[in-house]
Amino acid sequence: MRKTPWFLAVSAVLVFPLGATISAGSAEAAELRVGFTQDALTLDPANHRKRETETIIRNLYDGVMTQTADGRAVPELAESFRQIDSLTYEAKLRRNVKFHSGDPMTAADIKFTFDRLTKEKAMGGQTSPRQSLLGPLADVLVIDDYTVHFKLKAPWPVFPRMLPVQEVVSKKFVEKVGHDALATQVNGTGPFKLVEWRRGDSIIMERFADYYGGAAAIPPVGAAKADRVIFKIIPENASRVAALLAGEVDIINEVPIHTIGQIDRSGKAKVVKANGTRTFFIALNVTRPPLNDLRVRQAANHAIDKKTLIDKLLGGAATSVAGVLSPESFGYKPGLREYAFDPEKAKSLLAQAGHANGLDVVLDTEGAFKDQAEAIASMLTKVGIRTKVQVWEGAVLTPIWRGEKKERDMYLTSWGSSALDPTGIFVPTLRTKDRGNSSGYSNPNVDRLLDAAETELDVEKRAGMYHEAEKIVAEEAPWIFLWVPQDIYAVGSRLRGWEPGSDSRINLHRAYFAN
Amino acid sequence: MRLGFVVERLLQLVPVLLGVSLVVFLMITLTPGDPVEIMLGNERATPEQAESLRREMGLDLPPHERFVKFVRNALTGNFGRSFFHRRPVAEVIAERLPATMELTIVSMLIALALSIPLGVLAAVKRGSILDRIATVASLIGVSMPGFWLGIMLILLFAVHLGWMPVSGRVDFSHEVPRITGMILLDSLIQGRVDTFLDALHHIIMPAVTLGLAMAALLMRVTRASMIEVLQQDYILFAEAKGLGRARLLMRHALKNALIPTVTVAALETGYLLGGNTIVETVFGWPGLARVIVEGIFSRDYPLVQAGVLVIAVIYVSVNFLADVLYTLLNPRVKL
Amino acid sequence: MSTPALGAANEAGQESILVINLRKFRRDRFAVVSAVTVVIFILMAVFAPLVTPHDPYDTDLLRRLQPPVWREGGEWSYPLGCDALGRDLLSRIIYGARISIFIGVAVVLLATVVGTLAGLAAGFLGGIVDAVISRIVDTLLGFPYLIFAIGLMGMMGPGLENIILALVYKEWTISCRVIRGETLAARELEYVEAARAVGASKAHIMTREILPNVLSPLIVVATTRMATIIILEASLSFLGLGVQPPLASWGSMVSDGRAFLLEAWWVSTFPGIAIFLLVVSINVASQGLRDAFDPRLR
Repeated sequence: MRKTPWFLAVSAVLVFPLGATISAGSAEAAELRVGFTQDALTLDPANHRKRETETIIRNLYDGVMTQTADGRAVPELAESFRQIDSLTYEAKLRRNVKFHSGDPMTAADIKFTFDRLTKEKAMGGQTSPRQSLLGPLADVLVIDDYTVHFKLKAPWPVFPRMLPVQEVVSKKFVEKVGHDALATQVNGTGPFKLVEWRRGDSIIMERFADYYGGAAAIPPVGAAKADRVIFKIIPENASRVAALLAGEVDIINEVPIHTIGQIDRSGKAKVVKANGTRTFFIALNVTRPPLNDLRVRQAANHAIDKKTLIDKLLGGAATSVAGVLSPESFGYKPGLREYAFDPEKAKSLLAQAGHANGLDVVLDTEGAFKDQAEAIASMLTKVGIRTKVQVWEGAVLTPIWRGEKKERDMYLTSWGSSALDPTGIFVPTLRTKDRGNSSGYSNPNVDRLLDAAETELDVEKRAGMYHEAEKIVAEEAPWIFLWVPQDIYAVGSRLRGWEPGSDSRINLHRAYFAN
Repeated sequence: MRLGFVVERLLQLVPVLLGVSLVVFLMITLTPGDPVEIMLGNERATPEQAESLRREMGLDLPPHERFVKFVRNALTGNFGRSFFHRRPVAEVIAERLPATMELTIVSMLIALALSIPLGVLAAVKRGSILDRIATVASLIGVSMPGFWLGIMLILLFAVHLGWMPVSGRVDFSHEVPRITGMILLDSLIQGRVDTFLDALHHIIMPAVTLGLAMAALLMRVTRASMIEVLQQDYILFAEAKGLGRARLLMRHALKNALIPTVTVAALETGYLLGGNTIVETVFGWPGLARVIVEGIFSRDYPLVQAGVLVIAVIYVSVNFLADVLYTLLNPRVKL
Repeated sequence: MSTPALGAANEAGQESILVINLRKFRRDRFAVVSAVTVVIFILMAVFAPLVTPHDPYDTDLLRRLQPPVWREGGEWSYPLGCDALGRDLLSRIIYGARISIFIGVAVVLLATVVGTLAGLAAGFLGGIVDAVISRIVDTLLGFPYLIFAIGLMGMMGPGLENIILALVYKEWTISCRVIRGETLAARELEYVEAARAVGASKAHIMTREILPNVLSPLIVVATTRMATIIILEASLSFLGLGVQPPLASWGSMVSDGRAFLLEAWWVSTFPGIAIFLLVVSINVASQGLRDAFDPRLR
């Protein structure tokens, strides 16, 4: 008895190599597989705050609005979307939308969805962690079966851009199965229906035949082309790439930079990139010596050879930035003064600041950015800013740097906003005492500009305010400005109809295999 | 009297489990880090929302109240809600535990299947080339760091040779209605041989990685105890009486020699359960140990607390069973 | 018979057994070779600055992932190639020996001291002391080792001292159990009874009569545990809960290299071989020690 598994094990080793090679080459033509880094935490669209979870859910659920690959918000479940006055937006809904259960979607479902998101304890006693993503949204009014009005407490021009990250649930279904059940049961309006969720392993979906077709602005419109879609969870980088090259999966996310060449050369897959939404920077503690001295901060900026770092460490897959905003972002304008790589200038600035013999600082970061931190530290050290890297767990480091009192020197980190609007990145990181203001930076002019832009409805004026604020920040250098890395994906060479977007979604509605 | 012994040992488990809960709780309470900040990430959030989340997670209560609440709820099987999965912790654990159990059991079976025949052979042919090879092999086995072995196996068998799947438990073409959650067992119960073989194919590398060190250890134990048994008077006597050697080995010696092997195997279950954290990470095995490690990094207190407690309960129970069996089976232990 | 005399005789006997045992050990060629390997590793660690070809912390992005010498693109001055930041792998491995061996020795020493004291107290004093210590030991044994250490590292944060502490917190239970058992057995022995009969103090009996008798099993346990500790440290570092960079532990080097497995296998492979070599040598040597010291197990 005890020997049985052993014999089976041996026979399996002998028999399976053949089986494995055969099946690897010929995945079912209409079954599309994604090798993905993280499992969904839940399938309830209102009960998480995680981008990876959103990516998976977005294939099962649609939203009132969606986002194009180049980052514009366009109507999806809505037929049209417009602003009526500074506090009111109107959505006219499509009339042919069905949930997976076959029930039609109406305005009541929209109201239910947004009440669930914004009202306290509206999810069976829990409050949605996505609540604050909807800003000053006060209420949703049902005008008729296919018209709703979104009522805001204060003007908030970015509101339409925040709608693509909220998905619509069925009122009838939730009332029947209960809020908790939404964690594992899906009745969405998306192109795919849930077949099975194997926790931690995979999420299996199949085509929803009655799909209304998706956003009119993003052709082709119609039911999904693939019969089945599978998100297979493969956290290990090397394993994910190996699975792609073996034909086990057709798309992978977070491709490790140094494997790009290998993938492209393989002939079986190719690498595709999308501009990311995260700006990387080193927050400099401006509230205490030595980094409260502008000259030291500027010296640090001059010490970094960003080009070499991007070429060597990031495989060229990043855009250097002179300020806060990514070139894709609303409000971005070229022409900021950029600190050139100039070690001599850095040294002389340090000398002027009274640090001719150099100074010692500590650079904090998380394990994932250890390499970059060490490379940057050695560049800083070369000009006289002797830098020691300290690696922390994110869970510990974040509260330290987000706290009121700033007691450390430098922090290599990043901040991103999938809506690509300054309100999601500029305001939290540089407005006085805001949540992610790690530098402790405070400038009343910047605050004034940011606050005014928050409610300015004139698009051009609003963009101008952000640019003005960014110019001040670039000059005062509360950060070492680094780069915006690209998101790197790889797709099997037969896959068509999918390109990565800056919101790190993998929407597979239009994807299919070429023969 | 024997029943009394069992009851007494069972009662001793109570303070141990309480102690384990207390230690886990202390560890978690003393760990710096804020789950609310992690959860909110860096998208838009207001201080009011952070406060309300904190209340919902029960983080506004003082630590001692949290501990009392945890123990009281745990006794009724209620472990609270996971901060990040936003569902009852018991659900999350129930989903993940079978994968960990399956991997642990298969690793143990592999370890036993390798170690017992090798250990017996080495003992019987003591001093031979075979004995030496087995000894060297077992030394290599215990000296191989599991995470490194796993990586090397993936590199060789999955990437270069393509013989083995890179990760996962079973291919998607197989749909296995859940009975126990252990795919090998479920597919056997339902008579699906192809699914069973496919799952076996998937589990081999992780299970070998996890079980190899155990196999090496158990081989040493088997060899030592077999040698000891072979020198016992009754064996020598039986041999002198002319009993066939093979029969003698199987009927008399092996039975007695296996008692220490099985005991050590049970005692070292903790090694396998701990090793799961590594192997599940390397092989992307969707088990409980990986969820606990993720929970530690994201400060998902209820999940970590309950997860560690569940693993401790399993471990302590296996030890308890081993202890009781050993005492009852071994004539030399007096009660 | 006076107590001091008894103690002296006892010590003399112990010493000669030690010498005999060591002579037995020397006859095991395999074990001797391993012991020599361990010594080489130790020397390498101690004299790391003198034997490394390069500064292990010196980054050079132009040498990023340079292959080892026998592969295209490799060169003799970087025989094992370079890591992701262009640092010399060989130099880093040599420096890594310092971390692994230091942690191994520190943990085993600390744990043995604590465990011995606790074990002696529990075994000899009995009663409430024994009960308390045994319950603590039972509780700690209720945790799988690695999970316990992961939890502690989460609590204390990464760092050299923290790893040592995290491992000692549980490690001491092992020597404690051994010593308690041996003490219980020794307590019943004639000479201890004799010492007690002539009125020797408890402390005296514990340190002078019992301790010398339990040294042999202790040495055997300590060397075996050293190997396990080195693997545990590597495992923690592998999970990202290890020493602080730029310090390089073998475990964290394997972990770093994991990301480059497909294109630069050497980054993970060589540190792994180093761990394996050291651990296997310690294991073989300690097996030799065990065989020599404890004839029952041969």
